[in-house]
Amino acid sequence: MLITAGVDVGSTQTKAVLIDDSRAIRASAIIDTGGHISKAAERVFDEVLSTGGLCRKDVSCVVGTGYGRFKVQFGDIQITEISCHAKGAVFLFPGTRTVIDMGGQDAKGIRVGLNGEVDDFVMNDKCAAGTGRFLSNASETLNLTLDAVGELSLRAERPVRLSTVCSVFVESDIMAYLAQGKKVEDILAGVNSAIAARTIALVRRVGIVPEVTFTGGVSRNIGMIRALETKLGMPLNVSPQSQLVGALGAALWAMEHAESAVRS
Amino acid sequence: MRVADPVQEAKDLSETPVGRVIESWKSAHPGAKAVGWFPVFSPIELTHAAGMLPISIAGGGNQMEIAHADSRFQSFVCSIIKSTLELGLTGQLENLDGMIFHSICDPAKNLTSVFKRNFPRLMVDFIHFTQNFASPVAEEYLAAEYGRVRTRLAELAGTEITDGQIRSSIATYNRVRERVRRLQGIRLNGRNQLSAAETAALLRAGGRMMPEDFLTLLDDALRVISSRPGKARDLVHVVLEGSFCEQPPLELIQSIEEAGCSILEDDFELGFRWFKGDISTEGDPLRALAHAYIDGSVHSAVKHDLRYRKAAPLVEKVRRTGAQAVVVLTAKFCEPALFDYALYREALEENNIPHVLVEFEEKMWAFDKIRSEIETFVESMMFD
Amino acid sequence: MPKAIHQGLIHDLQKNLMSHYYEKLTRAAETRQEKSAWMLISGNPVELVRAFGFLPVYPEVNALQLGVRKQALPFILKAEERGYSMDNCAYVKADVGLYFSGLKAPFATIPEPSLILCNYVGCGVYLQWFEHLAEYTNAPIFNLDIPTVRPSASEGLQGKTQAGTAADHSNAADQRYVMRQLEELIAVCERITHRDFDEAKLRRIMEFSRETGELWAQIKAMTRTVPSPFDAFFDAVTMMGPLYCLRGTEECLDFFRAVHREMTERVEQRICPLEEERFRIVIEGPPPWPFLRTFRDLFSKWGAVAVASTYSTVGGLWEFGFRHDPDRPLESISEHMLQYNLTNRSFLQRYEQIRRYITEWNADALIIHSVKSCRLFSAGQGDMREYFSKELGIPTLLVESDLEDPRYFSEAQMRNRVDAFFESLAHRKSVRDREAGTC
Repeated sequence: MLITAGVDVGSTQTKAVLIDDSRAIRASAIIDTGGHISKAAERVFDEVLSTGGLCRKDVSCVVGTGYGRFKVQFGDIQITEISCHAKGAVFLFPGTRTVIDMGGQDAKGIRVGLNGEVDDFVMNDKCAAGTGRFLSNASETLNLTLDAVGELSLRAERPVRLSTVCSVFVESDIMAYLAQGKKVEDILAGVNSAIAARTIALVRRVGIVPEVTFTGGVSRNIGMIRALETKLGMPLNVSPQSQLVGALGAALWAMEHAESAVRS
Repeated sequence: MRVADPVQEAKDLSETPVGRVIESWKSAHPGAKAVGWFPVFSPIELTHAAGMLPISIAGGGNQMEIAHADSRFQSFVCSIIKSTLELGLTGQLENLDGMIFHSICDPAKNLTSVFKRNFPRLMVDFIHFTQNFASPVAEEYLAAEYGRVRTRLAELAGTEITDGQIRSSIATYNRVRERVRRLQGIRLNGRNQLSAAETAALLRAGGRMMPEDFLTLLDDALRVISSRPGKARDLVHVVLEGSFCEQPPLELIQSIEEAGCSILEDDFELGFRWFKGDISTEGDPLRALAHAYIDGSVHSAVKHDLRYRKAAPLVEKVRRTGAQAVVVLTAKFCEPALFDYALYREALEENNIPHVLVEFEEKMWAFDKIRSEIETFVESMMFD
Repeated sequence: MPKAIHQGLIHDLQKNLMSHYYEKLTRAAETRQEKSAWMLISGNPVELVRAFGFLPVYPEVNALQLGVRKQALPFILKAEERGYSMDNCAYVKADVGLYFSGLKAPFATIPEPSLILCNYVGCGVYLQWFEHLAEYTNAPIFNLDIPTVRPSASEGLQGKTQAGTAADHSNAADQRYVMRQLEELIAVCERITHRDFDEAKLRRIMEFSRETGELWAQIKAMTRTVPSPFDAFFDAVTMMGPLYCLRGTEECLDFFRAVHREMTERVEQRICPLEEERFRIVIEGPPPWPFLRTFRDLFSKWGAVAVASTYSTVGGLWEFGFRHDPDRPLESISEHMLQYNLTNRSFLQRYEQIRRYITEWNADALIIHSVKSCRLFSAGQGDMREYFSKELGIPTLLVESDLEDPRYFSEAQMRNRVDAFFESLAHRKSVRDREAGTC
């Protein structure tokens, strides 16, 4: 039986997934990246191997992905997280034609083919407006953890309208609203709605074809899921394993590679 | 018809979505056409002479969310470019028949092409104003350019546009401009009868109606305003410069005034104050319009008239109005305004005129930050 | 990782020519014996100022040289201290910073201008840039106002896919206006140089330019062959230096004769700038000068060769038929400025130019490099992307940085996007090849 691995080195977290040739997930692991990227890759790989009860020689192919993909020194191939997210999303939700991915630095829209190949993609431009960074700046200003943002925002009754999606200026906007006595949940809902609008505008560039799968760290924010769904007028696929989609996609690419190597 | 409060009427009209304005004008004028003009200035006499409504299409203000246009224009492009495109992409320009852009900046030039591709139904044109003001042939060129546009407008209107019609449009707009100058004069009388925000609202409304209706509005407004009691107040007198294209929300202008500034002169809606005096109604009307552009128009960031130094008109404006300071209010990412600032700053410092630089975007909702910047500036002036 | 291999003689020749040019500028700055005319690159009338013996100086090229040597930032900061905005064109800021550093660049000293000739060819920033320089230097300035190409009457009602055909026009009044201004300019040059206009000399200069243009057009057509003999973006910028700074001279013509010989040989021997040409791309937009090498390697890694680029046509569209004509010197100079350069044309005409490149040069994909500094180039490139990817179905990638300001370049972000794009292209190509193999 073939076993392959995907290691996704992101700016905050590093993730790994092991699969076998029946496409079953054998193990997964998530750790904080920290300051040393190559070490994080080593650590997460060791961890996923021990969870899966395997050792390095059992793994036929390792694909590294994410910003730190070139630091996965034991990796056989490097593939961008765009290709990996597309692959992983279609694996989890085979009807996926559009992927919305929101991470810390980037927001992306990917239009995918039937086998998880990338037909077209767009990413946010240089400006970090409307990415996870904006969200974390906003929650910091409000003294909240990122995880609390989603639930709290659902309690909003009168969402505010933000005049900017600039991650630098959002702070003064929020301070102004607080000074006006606006409720925290209304401000949060305003933040989610502003990001959702900007993200949808971004993803429209590739064309939004259902089904739409939402991946990346921000997809844990239930308020963001609802805001996107309302604006799109359609439901989103969101996996409880959404953080692992990149690593899973990498493992799937590794499997295709290993299988074609065996064939030839 | 007597209007209870012409200024309020103007405010309401200026905040009505532009698509609705065109629609209601057209339903009152069946069969007539409407041609949009983009800032800063346009020879709207030509459109009016053809019996069409010249309507100012200058972005979407802060009532509109940009959801489509920012996929066409990048984050470093100013808001008015995107919101104007958004109007089209969201079907709000469906009743518009033509759209004229001008050689004011590079994004506006490219927007012309983007309009043409995305809205093939619209007649889209672009006027290249002369930038060689010293050349003896500039006037001849500009008159020919106006002639080219006249032909296209006549095609659109399905009628000839005669010299006589243009001359009569010039005369009508001369009357409008004369009243606008009177409005300006009130701002300088020291009695605080009229605010800059109100003036801007009146001019914005004027961009959305036929000049004959604008004349009525202005006459009503002049009557109401000059009967206001007014009083001298302890404010810092300023000249405001830099908002000649993208327009700030009226609330933002109000915030600046509430922060302690009396704005004696500004360049909001500059198109209606483009000319220093009347345009000749004798002879070739296109030559008259071109002549006025070259020799009778006010200073603007989008004109590069090398016969004077760039900051000279600003310094002169401060001297003439007796202002104490300058507020440079520029639209975010507006390259002409931001370039001018470097020269303004140098000249203002040389002439010991205090100034403050503030950036805005038309889509702003919260004004607290700008207000406190201006307040700080006003305090620094008061305690100096 | 495969990198671009050495491109042959032309790079050394170019280096010599350009350092010779900058030595001349430095000498002129030191001796103050020569008159210099400051001009802009796009569609300039260098032939005319050469006829009066002016030494042409190009602030854009000076800024570019600072950028490519990674020396621009201190100059940019110097301008920002004077009140220029973060959001202003960084070419202008680097150049203004250079002026306020006594015109002393690390690679040359630039002579003060005897004439500031603002050839306003489409770029609005040009007007502001030279207006500022004129105020700082107090040198005489002439705005040569070139009416931009406007949308034509007939075209307005055509369908969406009719992007900027030749029907976009500039008219007879434009031509007359420009011709008359050239006559005014001649009078200004006569006054400054105390020389009479020598038409015979202008014709000789025009003859050099005509032949240079002919060679350049032929060279640019060579990238239609598979594999392409050179990279029409990264190697073309090498050739653009002499084309713009030295056009109208014999040494420029000699350079292009050498390039032509070398490229002809490369075509015959099927030599490609990379080990293997896997993808043929068209690049739209100027290069990120401070990271030129890094940027090139992003594409070389994938075996992607630019077979055409819009940037290489900012100064003139010789490949689409323009030639300087010694028999109609002023007419052809004004045609060059009005119609035959990229910047004075409409954005839709650029779409059409790129569409032709993709079809006639047989390209697989379009790369749009969007630079913040130059909004004439970049504003609206999202619409361009929409047109090519959605209406024409051409794989299109848009990446962002700047042509001069190193603060806008993020290598990791850029690499990620380029890699993802070529992963998907490579995948599609392999599927296509596989299908072709089984049929």
